Amino acid sequence: MSRNNIWVHLTIALTLVLIAALVGGVRHWRRGPQRSSQPVSRPEPTPDSQENDADEQDDADKAEVLVRFRPGTTREAIDRIVAQFHDQVEDRIESVDGLDVIEDEDGKSAADVVAQYRALAEVEYAEANSEITLDHEDTGAKHVHANDEMFSRQWGLANNGANGGKAGADIRAMWAWAVTKGSDQIVVAVIDSGVDYTHPDLVRNIWTRPEIIKAYRDDDLTSAEGIDDVHGLNLVDDDGDPMDTNGHGTHCAGIIGAEGGNGFGIAGVNWSVKIMPLRFMDSDGAGTTRDAIEAVNYVIDRKRAGVNVRVISASWGSTARSRALEDVIRKAYDEGILFVAAAGNASTDNDQTPHYPSSYNLGNMVSVAALNRNDQLASFSNYGAKSVNVAAPGEEILSTWLDHGFSEKKGTSMATPFVAGVAALILSQNPKMSVDDLRAKLLKSVDPIDSLKGKVSSGGRINAAKAVGAE
Amino acid sequence: MGPNAQPVTAQALIQARSDLARRLGVDENEITEGLVEPAEFPDGALGAPVEDEMSAQVITPGWRIHLKANDKTYEYRASDRQLRLFSFNGENYRI
Repeated sequence: MSRNNIWVHLTIALTLVLIAALVGGVRHWRRGPQRSSQPVSRPEPTPDSQENDADEQDDADKAEVLVRFRPGTTREAIDRIVAQFHDQVEDRIESVDGLDVIEDEDGKSAADVVAQYRALAEVEYAEANSEITLDHEDTGAKHVHANDEMFSRQWGLANNGANGGKAGADIRAMWAWAVTKGSDQIVVAVIDSGVDYTHPDLVRNIWTRPEIIKAYRDDDLTSAEGIDDVHGLNLVDDDGDPMDTNGHGTHCAGIIGAEGGNGFGIAGVNWSVKIMPLRFMDSDGAGTTRDAIEAVNYVIDRKRAGVNVRVISASWGSTARSRALEDVIRKAYDEGILFVAAAGNASTDNDQTPHYPSSYNLGNMVSVAALNRNDQLASFSNYGAKSVNVAAPGEEILSTWLDHGFSEKKGTSMATPFVAGVAALILSQNPKMSVDDLRAKLLKSVDPIDSLKGKVSSGGRINAAKAVGAE
Repeated sequence: MGPNAQPVTAQALIQARSDLARRLGVDENEITEGLVEPAEFPDGALGAPVEDEMSAQVITPGWRIHLKANDKTYEYRASDRQLRLFSFNGENYRI
């Protein structure tokens, strides 16, 4: 090797070392939530693996959570708790009493660390840190990246073009979240097969009847004392337990409001919301028109009793028209409740062959078609230039399922809760918005899509960011 | 039974034969199996809703089961949860 060659090789070697150092540094600096694509449970690491993991962990892999301790918890007590959990206080948010940024030091996931702190009486709340970045187009608009483990598979919320999809063919949820992630003051009724209200990604966003609201009474269904509708109603068995035995309602509920930013599972359109489960379909996924009417009637009753239920998500239907169902949905309109309904899966034109309830021409009705991950109308989706209003993601949709699991499903059933979820996001900003304005806001904030011209009345896919004023 | 038939279809097939024999008033031996094929149905009612029925608008995987009797073909629809008779004299039935 000549002297010149030695210098060339040395220069190359030094450059490579510098690049490696820079890459490592950037990774270290970009401390953000870590995601994986598959896990559906929260496995407890063994003591051995914890030790090994911790040894190998760099800062980028460490879970980071925001914990607010209750007033009266001393600094010493906080430090003791943090030390017991083998964590460390990374930062203190001085403007908010008791709010600390805590970093895990023993290899636990963000979800586990959050759960650990939430279990303590001294803790008011604990939540996983989220990454907020400037968008790639450098427009200055901010977006929020969910740290939920399977978020990368939720193309309907954030489509990066993976798996043959089209980048940007999504509802722009991350941009909307920079403005609002929802509110636990907004109640969305999911009239369906019930909801697994114990699912770990839903349990914190399930509606519970406040003590000041009296138990539900319906002389046709209940005893004189009423039904203990603690979380909703079960019209199949005429009781107060709306537990899902099919999975469909749990799936729809997760799209609307699986807890976001908890480092676990998926993110809902709303990170925070209250889901009111109603069960009128059985374990086969079918129910009677009468029970559907009773379910809407229940929602109206609860609204009148003081529950802030403003949206009904209805991922069901048939081609049989019922004047009684139409009447009760009209009554919901009078009460200021939006009714979001699936357009149907027969690949047919609802203007020619109506599908109900979505084809009722009512002021609170939003009929929803389904899109695939390429912004194309899904092959199964019904459409209708006059009678179907908007489209939303409805193929390969990952959401919560029975047995505390997750599953991918397709149908206008899945598109519907995306729209109901965006309606709830809008209401989280403006709780007093009228149902007419809410419907108009949803329809006017769509992204126009070529494949939807002449197929839906708005001509577009819902856009959560536009709907909440983030774009 | 077709090559794609799963154990759940075998159960559905037994149930379907029995149901059709009862409806037609014939012996089960007079019923022959036609094609059994996997299918995707448009909803929770397997595209065969009965009167006054609403169903989940989710694509539901299952099987079409064709049975023959008296020179006519009858279509049953099965999922892992249920069995339906499709358009029997113009009516759907939940078995």
